[in-house]
Amino acid sequence: MGSVMGPQNTDAIEPDPVIEAYKKDIDRTLIRENLKLTVTQRFEKLMALQQFHEEMQRAGRAARRRE
Amino acid sequence: MTDFRALLEALARAHVRFIVVGGAAATAHGSARLTVDLDLVYQRTPENIGRLVSALRPQQPYLRGAPPGLPFLWDEDTAHRGLNFTLTTGWGEVDLLGEITGGGAYEDLLPYAVTLEPFGIPCFCLGLERLIHVKRAAGRPKDLDAIAELEAILEERRDQE
Repeated sequence: MGSVMGPQNTDAIEPDPVIEAYKKDIDRTLIRENLKLTVTQRFEKLMALQQFHEEMQRAGRAARRRE
Repeated sequence: MTDFRALLEALARAHVRFIVVGGAAATAHGSARLTVDLDLVYQRTPENIGRLVSALRPQQPYLRGAPPGLPFLWDEDTAHRGLNFTLTTGWGEVDLLGEITGGGAYEDLLPYAVTLEPFGIPCFCLGLERLIHVKRAAGRPKDLDAIAELEAILEERRDQE
């Protein structure tokens, strides 16, 4: 499921030179892959990423305790 | 890990009026960035606060980062007296916001919300353009990279249309 009903109002986004500079480093391949997913799949991917992040933190703490 | 499905299901089942904002809204729009909490702007009516308190109470909300043992009671009085709450619950981290910088309260944001159905649960999520506007208005240096990604998402979406 991932249907989208648009907003009643939207904002015009004026280019900001600082943000344009940051934009050069954005990996657009990741965005394009995410845009192929449904909203549910995007959240499932986020939760998997969270789990991985927590596991890496746990492993890091365990390694520091062994030092 | 924050269980977005359980949180959204509980809030929807209780008919809580809220709009998903922040990193979770960015995820819904296609962001690849890691976010660990669910940020919500909730309607500040007594009825809605009652529904919100009841929906989360079984998961024993507690102030995130606070030392254990504080006399924090998640009830309607607490919710009425405060505005923004950063909570940890049995389902993970949730930020309940009465209003946000550059965006205002629930009623101000509603015209800029889209209806999404993550996990088949219909809910309001702040539209991409407004999300960018709000993050720009907050003016936090740490958001610059996130704003750049959101604007790139907007450009990619427009290219696909």
